[in-house]
Amino acid sequence: MDTSNLASTLLHRGAEADLSLATVGPWRVVVKRRVKKDYRNPSLDEQIRHDRTISEASQIHEAKTGGARVPSLVGMDLENNAIVMTHIAGTVARECLDELSAKEARKLLRSVGAQIGLLHTAGIVHGDLTTSNVIVSPSGAPFIVDFGMSHRSVEPEDRGVDLHLLQRSIVASHSQDSSSMMNATIRGYERTAGKKIATSTWRKAREIARRGRYFAIR
Amino acid sequence: MCLGIESTAHTFGASLVDDQDRIVTNVNSTYRPPVGVGIHPRKASEHLASVADSIVKTALSTRDGSSIDPDVIAYAAGPGLGPCLRIGATVARALSSFLKRPLVPVHHGVAHLDIAMSITKAHDPLAVLVSGGHTSILVHVGKRWRVYGETQDITLGNLLDMFAREAKLPSPGGLSVSREATKGENLIKLPYTVKGNDVAYSGLLTAAATSLRRQGNLADLCFSLQETAFSMLSEAVERSLVQTRRSEVLLAGGVAASQRLRQMIGLVAEDHGASFHPVPIEYSGDCGAQIACSGRLAYESGITVSTSDSFVTPRWRMDEVDVPWIPRT
Repeated sequence: MDTSNLASTLLHRGAEADLSLATVGPWRVVVKRRVKKDYRNPSLDEQIRHDRTISEASQIHEAKTGGARVPSLVGMDLENNAIVMTHIAGTVARECLDELSAKEARKLLRSVGAQIGLLHTAGIVHGDLTTSNVIVSPSGAPFIVDFGMSHRSVEPEDRGVDLHLLQRSIVASHSQDSSSMMNATIRGYERTAGKKIATSTWRKAREIARRGRYFAIR
Repeated sequence: MCLGIESTAHTFGASLVDDQDRIVTNVNSTYRPPVGVGIHPRKASEHLASVADSIVKTALSTRDGSSIDPDVIAYAAGPGLGPCLRIGATVARALSSFLKRPLVPVHHGVAHLDIAMSITKAHDPLAVLVSGGHTSILVHVGKRWRVYGETQDITLGNLLDMFAREAKLPSPGGLSVSREATKGENLIKLPYTVKGNDVAYSGLLTAAATSLRRQGNLADLCFSLQETAFSMLSEAVERSLVQTRRSEVLLAGGVAASQRLRQMIGLVAEDHGASFHPVPIEYSGDCGAQIACSGRLAYESGITVSTSDSFVTPRWRMDEVDVPWIPRT
């Protein structure tokens, strides 16, 4: 579909894409357009934007098929490096997590963990799992969004990166006790991914954290 | 006056910084390995030991030849190469007990950020530290720097140095690669790996080195290596900047001397309405001034160590160090 003439209002300027709100048929949609980056070499820039647009659309579709709460794909516009998907109403977890009680926060993260488990068992890793990429609907159900860096993989390494990134975003941006938050996430994850996958993924996540520079060998 | 002593890897440096944060003296000597060879820790430490006394003496001398008595002695306690760290620590301990002045341990990476923040007047930035030892994106939360993104394997400095070594280009590798890159124009496809806010450079190094062995054009390869590696970091920086919503971007460390990297990170900052604070090139690489600058701030926050408890630690993460003097006023 052609998104260049679609009437839309800018919703959010992300790091790599602009998100705008529009209406297509009966749907309230979000148009995610990957914008040109002046810092990048033009041919490298075009190639990255093109490849990621195609990859993102296909991962969203796969995730939906796997039963995860994610937006639905409405269409795509490769001329403009854009994808069109259903709008998810709610608040970003990054904004609301600190306002929840410890108990509510654990409940939310258990549910987030269950969603990650569904993605992983569908053979998808998110690749950029932070509290900014979780939208909590008014009913309290978390949706995972932004599949811009996701790819197909069943490797514990790649799955571990997801949990590692989520943990780091909790440690870096939230005052909530990060270890109990992660425990809740893993319990939820285990519910949908099973004990075996949960154990290997979490072991890998801790190994990846230690791989960072200058960690003393523990 | 704080005397700072740097000796974490290839550079022995001594510098005086006064109470107004002004760099009074800054004297350094850097060990350069032969072309095609990396830094051998023992050979580097021998170089540091051979120049230490004259460097310290020069750093403590005024223009008219008289000698300055420092109030505080700061030394780089880590991270770095063990044999090299011990040279600086030994000199610092000796001066501290002889002059009866307090001893302050400094984290080398924190010091890179401190000198950059002092000179460029940054307050509470998103910090990008790029050197041979670090490739990290950091923000200050509570009392510490928190790692928002980092390399999952080798650093940007490692990448450029190791490729330069393969290509038989002289040290420092970053400078040699950038000189060659200006002659290149064709972009060769190389692995581009960004994982969230992290980057991974080992695949890029292997691909570039393999292409070089297959008689690839050196200028084009240097150009492509730089474009790919810097774009990866810039993307991770941009993501971190959007997530942390900081209004300043600091660029520090040895690789911050690269003009192309300065341009790219500068564009990222500009695009998101943040001010850009690149460390001046003369203070980007390892130097005594960074240790003196950081040591003075640490001393004012009450951080000292007795000679008998003083230490060096080759492995020491940025997020394990208390840095209570940030945000800077």
